[in-house]
Amino acid sequence: MTSEDGRFVVVFNGEIYNYPQLRTELETDGARFRTTSDTEVLLHLYARHGAEMVHRLRGMFAFAIWDQAQHCLFLARDPYGIKPLYTANDGWTFRFASQVKALLAGGHLSRDPEPAGVVGFHLFGSVPEPFTLYRDIRSLPAGHTQFVNAAGPREPKSFSNLAELLAKGAANAVPVAEISERVRAAVLDSIRAHSLADVEVGIFLSAGVDSGALLGCMRDAGQRGVRAITLAFEEFRGTSEDEAPLAARVSDHYGAHHIVRRLSQQEFVQDLPAILDAMDQPSIDGVNTWFVSKAAKEAGLKVVISGLGGDELLGGYPSFADVPRWRRRFGALAVVPGLGLFARTLIGRVAPAFSHARPKALGLLEHSGTWAGAYLLRRGLFLPNELPKVMDPEIAREGMRRLRPLRSLGASLKPDPGSDLARVCVLESVHYMRNQLLRDADWAGMAHSLEIRVPLVDFTLLGKLASSIPAITKGAGKAALAAAPMMPLPNEVVTRAKSGFAVPTGAWINSVVGNASSSIGHKPESKGIVSRRWSQAVLNGGPLTKRPLEVHAS
Amino acid sequence: MKPSPAMLALVTDAYRGRGGIAQYNRDFFEALAEAGLLSITVLPRQAPDSSGMPEPVEQLQARPGRIAYSVAALRTALFRIVDVVFCGHLFMAPLAALIARLKGAKLIIQAHGIEAWPRPSRIQRMATERADLVLCVSRYTRAAVLSWAAIAPDRVLVVPNTVREVFTPADGSAQRVALGVEGKRVLLTVGRMDSRERYKGHDRVIAAIPDLVAKGHDICYMVVGEGDDRARLEALVRNAGVSDRVRFLGDVGLQSLIEIYRAADLFVMPSTGEGFGVAFLEAMASGTPALGLATAGAKDALADGELGTSTSEAELSVAISRLLHQAKPDSFDLARAVRARFGREKFVAMADQVLNRLTERDSDNPNAVFGESLISHADRP
Repeated sequence: MTSEDGRFVVVFNGEIYNYPQLRTELETDGARFRTTSDTEVLLHLYARHGAEMVHRLRGMFAFAIWDQAQHCLFLARDPYGIKPLYTANDGWTFRFASQVKALLAGGHLSRDPEPAGVVGFHLFGSVPEPFTLYRDIRSLPAGHTQFVNAAGPREPKSFSNLAELLAKGAANAVPVAEISERVRAAVLDSIRAHSLADVEVGIFLSAGVDSGALLGCMRDAGQRGVRAITLAFEEFRGTSEDEAPLAARVSDHYGAHHIVRRLSQQEFVQDLPAILDAMDQPSIDGVNTWFVSKAAKEAGLKVVISGLGGDELLGGYPSFADVPRWRRRFGALAVVPGLGLFARTLIGRVAPAFSHARPKALGLLEHSGTWAGAYLLRRGLFLPNELPKVMDPEIAREGMRRLRPLRSLGASLKPDPGSDLARVCVLESVHYMRNQLLRDADWAGMAHSLEIRVPLVDFTLLGKLASSIPAITKGAGKAALAAAPMMPLPNEVVTRAKSGFAVPTGAWINSVVGNASSSIGHKPESKGIVSRRWSQAVLNGGPLTKRPLEVHAS
Repeated sequence: MKPSPAMLALVTDAYRGRGGIAQYNRDFFEALAEAGLLSITVLPRQAPDSSGMPEPVEQLQARPGRIAYSVAALRTALFRIVDVVFCGHLFMAPLAALIARLKGAKLIIQAHGIEAWPRPSRIQRMATERADLVLCVSRYTRAAVLSWAAIAPDRVLVVPNTVREVFTPADGSAQRVALGVEGKRVLLTVGRMDSRERYKGHDRVIAAIPDLVAKGHDICYMVVGEGDDRARLEALVRNAGVSDRVRFLGDVGLQSLIEIYRAADLFVMPSTGEGFGVAFLEAMASGTPALGLATAGAKDALADGELGTSTSEAELSVAISRLLHQAKPDSFDLARAVRARFGREKFVAMADQVLNRLTERDSDNPNAVFGESLISHADRP
C-alpha cells in the first residue's frame, strides 16, 4: 500500500489489534484514511513518528516501509516475534521476505550453510534467530527495527525487552490476593483485542486450561457459538487418553460449536511429505499444529485463537520447576572447574550404556551452574559435547563459536527478571516459543491459509501481568487462568490437565524414522532419543522425500 | 555538522606503490579527504617517496621490517590524534586493532582479494571481528570474510574499486598502426604474471588462440605486464605454435597503457582470483568491451553482465568468438556507463557513506526522530 502522496510504501504481514484506537487518534490529528485496513495506520504512524511508531503498536507484525523521498527502508518485527522476517544482504542488494524459502527462490543467494544455524538446530530442535540454515540469510530479531539506505543496512536495534518488562514488574510486585483479578482483567482485555476481525474467529480447543479459559473469555467478550476445533487421535478413541470428551464438556460449558477432528496414523504418514515441504526452517515439532490447522481450514475458518504461550507465561512447563531446582542442587558443584567434564568422561567410560540412553543426565554437573546452562540442558536436543558425533566436527566447532548459545541465553536474562518464574518465562518465551512454537504456528497455519492469533503472547498482556508473575507459585498461574472467565473452567479440566494427555505422534514418528534393530530386545527408547532421530530426518529432508541439505565445512 | 576525524592508515604501500592495492589506497584516501576527513597519516611498509599526495594526507617514512613497523605505528599513534584506524591489509589487523583499542578509535579493515579468502590466523580473525567496519572490494570477498569471521553482516560493506579518470575512450587506430596490428582482431590482457598465483588466465587465452584462428579470426593477443611467470608463458606460446600471434609488451607507461586499451578489440582476463579486477574497468572506461569468468570479484567488475560479459572456462573460446563477431559497442556509451557505476563521483559518495557510518549515532539515524516535515500536506486538515 502507498501513502496518498506516494512517498511511503508499506508491505505488511500481521495484525494490528489496537488499530481502531490508533485510527481515531490519527484522524483527530488530521490524517485522512482511504481504506479500512490496519495497514494504512502504519503509513500514517510512520509519517508522524518514524521508527518510534513501533511503541504504539499492539499485535503481531513484520513490515517494511520504503521512503521514496529519502530512499531508505525501515523494517520492524513484533516484540515476541510472532511474525517472521528474514533478510539477506550480499553487499550490493538488500532483500527481505517472510520466509527463508522465498529468499532462496529468488535465485541470487548462495546456499552455503551457516554453522551457527546448523548447530542451533541440533541444540534446540529449531533454528535460533538471528541465524538460519544459510549464511546469506538472517532473521531480523523479534522486537527489533532495522534501517537500510544507500550506505547499507544498519545493525538491527532492539525496541522491546521481555526481561526488562518483567524486571520492572518484579520491582512493583503485587500481593498474591490480587493475582486472580489481574489475570482475569488482562486476559479478557487481550481476548477482546484479538477478536477484532471482519471474519469469524474460531479457536483451537484442547482439554487443557489455556484454550478452555480463552474460550470462556471469548464468551465473556460477547461471542456466542464460537466454533472450537479439537484434534483427537483415532487410536485413543474411548480411552482415558482421549482429549475429545473433556474438550466437548468445555465447549458445551461455554456454548461453543464443537468440531472434533480425528487423526489416524495413515493420514499422518500421508501428510508427512507435505509437512516437511511446508516447513520453512527445519523444526522437530509443528505436526500437531499442521493437523489442527488443516481441520480449521476444512471447517472454513480463516482466523483462529490459540492458547499458545500460556505455559510460557504462567509457569506451565516442567522446566519452571526443573531449571531452578537443578541450579540449586548442582549449581554449587558445577562451579568446580572441570568436574562436570571429568564426571561425564568417567561415566562415559565406565557405563557407556547409561551415557547412550541418558546423555543429558551427564550434562547436569557441567551445565547447571548458570540459568542459561540449566535451560540448555532442559531444552537441549543434543548437548554441545555431542555435536561432533552428529555432524562434521569442524562445522560443530565453528557453529558453537558463532552461535555462543550460553552467551545468547544469558544475554536474554538482562536485566535480571527478578524471580525464578520470570527467568524461566523469559528463557522459554524468547528461545523455545519464539524459535520453535511460533515458527511452527506460522508455517503450519500459512500452509492452510489460516491466521493463528495468540492472545497469551502479547506484550501488553505481559506488561499488565509483570508485577504478578513473581508471586505466582506452582500451579497458581494456571488456576488463575482457569478462573478468569465469569463461568470458571470445570474443575476436572484443571485437575486432569496436571497429568496431561499423551499424543501418539511420537510413536508414529518413531515408526517412520525408528531404528528397528535397536528396538528389539531393548527397553522402549525415551522421547528425547526419538526426537533426536526425527531431527536428523527433518534436516535431511525427511524419510519420505529426497531433498538433502548438504553440510560441508567451508 | 559533520565531524572531521583524523585517520591513521596502516598500509603495505600507497603513494609510489605499484599494483591494485596501492592504487585503491590512494583512491580511497583522496575520496575520504574530499568527503571531509581532517587528516590522514599514512604509514607504509614499502614505497618511501611521498610526493603527489593531496593536502590532508601525510605519508610517513616506510618501515619494511615488521617490528620496526609496529614500533613506528605505536609511536605515531601515541603522539597524534587518532579517531579512526584504517588497516589496509589483513596481516596488519592485529596491530591496527591494538592501536584502535589503545586510542579508543574506530577500526576499519580493508579486504581486497585472495589475502582475505582463506581463513586467516586466529589473531587476525579476532582483530577483524573487532572492526567497526570491514570494507570489501567485491561481494565475493565480503562473502568470504563472513564465512570465517563471526561479525555482524551489517558491518561488512562492499566498496568497489574505482576507475581513474585518465582512462577515456578515443580513436585507437594510430596506436594500432604503431603496434603493427592494423586489420587484426586484438585481444588484450593487463596484469601481473606471478608464478605463485597464476590466476589471471593468460594460459586460457593462449590455449584458445588456435581455435579462434581456425574460426577465421586474425588474432593478435597483447599481454601487458611483467612478472616471474613470463618465461613460462612465452614457452607456452611457442609450444602452442602461436608465437606470431602473441605479443608480450612488458610493463608500459600510463600513457601507453591508456592507448593500448583503446587499440584493443576485446579485453580478456579469464581470471579465477580477482578480488575485483580493476583492469576490467580501465578497459571499459577506455571504450573497449571486457570479458571475464563469472568467478569471484570479476562478476562485480563486469556488473553481472550489465557492463561486461562473463562466461565459463569451457565457453571461453566461444564467447571470444561471439564478441569479436558482434559490432563493437559505442565506446562513449560504454565508458559513460562504467563511470556512472564505478567513477570517482560514486566512489567519493561511498567514502562519505563510510565516514557517516563510523560517526553516526542513533540521533543521526534519519529514522530515529522524524520531524513534522514528513507529514505530507495532503495529510493535513
